[in-house]
Amino acid sequence: MSATALLEVRDLAVHFPVRGRGWLPVHRTLRAVDEVSFAVRPGEVLGVVGESGCGKSTLLRAILRLIPVTAGSVRLSGVELTTLEKAALRPLRRRMQIVFQDPLASLDPRMTVGEIIAEPLTALLPGLARAERRQRVERALQQVGLLPAQINRYPHEFSGGQAQRIGIARALVVEPQLLICDEPVSALDVSIKSQIINLLLDLRAEQNLTYIFVAHDLATVRHIADRVMVLYLGRVMEITDRDALYAHPLHPYTRLLLAAVPIPDPVRARTHRAPPGRDELPSPLALPSGCVFRTRCPLATARCAAERPALRVIDGRAVACHHADAAAGQP
Amino acid sequence: MRSTRRTAELTAAALLEIRALSVQFSTGDGPVYAVNDLDLQVRRGEVLGMVGESGSGKSQTWLAVLGLLAKNGHAEGSVRLDGEEILNAPSRTLTRLRGNRVGMIFQDPMTAMNPFLTVGRQMTEVLQWHRGLSRRAAEARCIEALTAVHITDAARRLQMYPHEFSGGMRQRVMIATALLTEPQLLICDEPTTALDVTVQAQILALLDELRQRHGTAIVLITHDLGVVAQLADRVVVMYAGRQVETAEVHTLYGAYRHPYTEGLLRSVPRLDEARAERLATIPGRPPDLAQRPPGCPFAPRCAYAAPICAQQMPPLVALGPEHLRACHYGGALKSEARGA
Repeated sequence: MSATALLEVRDLAVHFPVRGRGWLPVHRTLRAVDEVSFAVRPGEVLGVVGESGCGKSTLLRAILRLIPVTAGSVRLSGVELTTLEKAALRPLRRRMQIVFQDPLASLDPRMTVGEIIAEPLTALLPGLARAERRQRVERALQQVGLLPAQINRYPHEFSGGQAQRIGIARALVVEPQLLICDEPVSALDVSIKSQIINLLLDLRAEQNLTYIFVAHDLATVRHIADRVMVLYLGRVMEITDRDALYAHPLHPYTRLLLAAVPIPDPVRARTHRAPPGRDELPSPLALPSGCVFRTRCPLATARCAAERPALRVIDGRAVACHHADAAAGQP
Repeated sequence: MRSTRRTAELTAAALLEIRALSVQFSTGDGPVYAVNDLDLQVRRGEVLGMVGESGSGKSQTWLAVLGLLAKNGHAEGSVRLDGEEILNAPSRTLTRLRGNRVGMIFQDPMTAMNPFLTVGRQMTEVLQWHRGLSRRAAEARCIEALTAVHITDAARRLQMYPHEFSGGMRQRVMIATALLTEPQLLICDEPTTALDVTVQAQILALLDELRQRHGTAIVLITHDLGVVAQLADRVVVMYAGRQVETAEVHTLYGAYRHPYTEGLLRSVPRLDEARAERLATIPGRPPDLAQRPPGCPFAPRCAYAAPICAQQMPPLVALGPEHLRACHYGGALKSEARGA
């Protein structure tokens, strides 16, 4: 797999020092991302899910080198990114772009749509002729379903869904291979959300794009992703092909997440309601020993407290759970 | 059991009655019409779901009811709580009402709480102010209230500040605070939108438990059709400040009759059905509230629209005992086979 991967992340760790206060300050370490390994194949959509505090955003920022990496490796088409000099990183930035959650907040209100979309071109392809730049901006606008005539408008003249289209156009204008989508539809209305999801699927087919699609909404991820990675407290719990994950999740955390998704059907909602857990997420500064999920896990045993489960392959699926063999054996 | 309780509810008189409510905002670009000619009831002990997208008027309706509109907002019509007119009532009346008979919970509990005061101070204040309890009696009552929403170690938590709580815990504190005065009506505006799914499930279960135990009527304002399906007895679907369809919850999800309801339900990705290659969408853009078109506001996006739809606003018509719809289209909806 590593030979063909577009992006390969190995044993990635991002730790933040947390300073103590008072007389005898205790300096602690927040392990936001720890021992995370995965690969993204060209042309696939990797969904990343987990609750707040699971390390989704930190992981994306580390991949894009927006924050320093503590340990591990990130390779884009075989090129190690974590050790590259800033100047050497620039041509690679063109190949991976990001789309943010809040479309209006991520667009500068004083710039026109044309200027916003042209900005990455000016920064990453400074040699481009003016006419060519304009042409690329217009093409990007068309690709996301906006009109070239809207090029001189300002962000506030657009609705949330259209603003997200502008955000996507800004990412696409430099013709990246990898598009990192950080909750791109979470802030959008239901009827607009599905338009944007369909747009992303169309763009992928037309331009052979690869996505990392981060979301907390498991139903949306099921719609767009080919494979799904489940994160919890900075660790990978499970990485599996979409259909297998949704039909038969092997990790108890994946099962907990899926059971909590409200189903828009009052009959099922009232007959299949899972008893919700009453537990809280442990502090990321004081992680449980062994398996980080054990404090919320219905299957936890003494072994889970003593020994951290490694991510291992069962039935062609990667799971970090001591009890995954038993789960795989069930129909 | 459920059905007998329901029948009793249906025969009870309305707790809150909204008549011909309109809400407008004056802006630099002219008026914005947020709510248009709305008639609505909340019955005792029921959970009324209020569904819509941004700009549908679902939140502004209830801010108007509570006298909490922004300064440039103006409400007309009538709102009666237990027969007493409360729309645009003097602020003293409304302050007393909000603390006592009507409770509120907002999306982001962090912004609804004072970050500089302990949770205990903010909670006891409610009882000292509205009930004239002593500090000590109020504290005892708050500890009970926190315990009732499943917060352990309540006495110690009262000494903590809002930021020391997780999002789910803060929302529990908000619910406990809103229930301190045992209101008849609890208005929840997107109470779980900022929370993780696992925490959302806990909060919804808590709201369900509270209404079973105290018989509190709940208005659940949300964009999430999944959330409404868990809890609501009746559902109102709003679009561009208008009620487009209202029905008992099973009717609304199983036998909806408005094209917008159909569009909403079909465009939600769901885990309980096979994955479709393409999501259904509602084409077009959200409505412009500065315009008040003569016809149906959904017509520009509606697959069933006829010429009359752009000219004349369809009236709200009863299709059954618990089913209202505002739509000119008389034929079958495309997804009816599935929906039925």
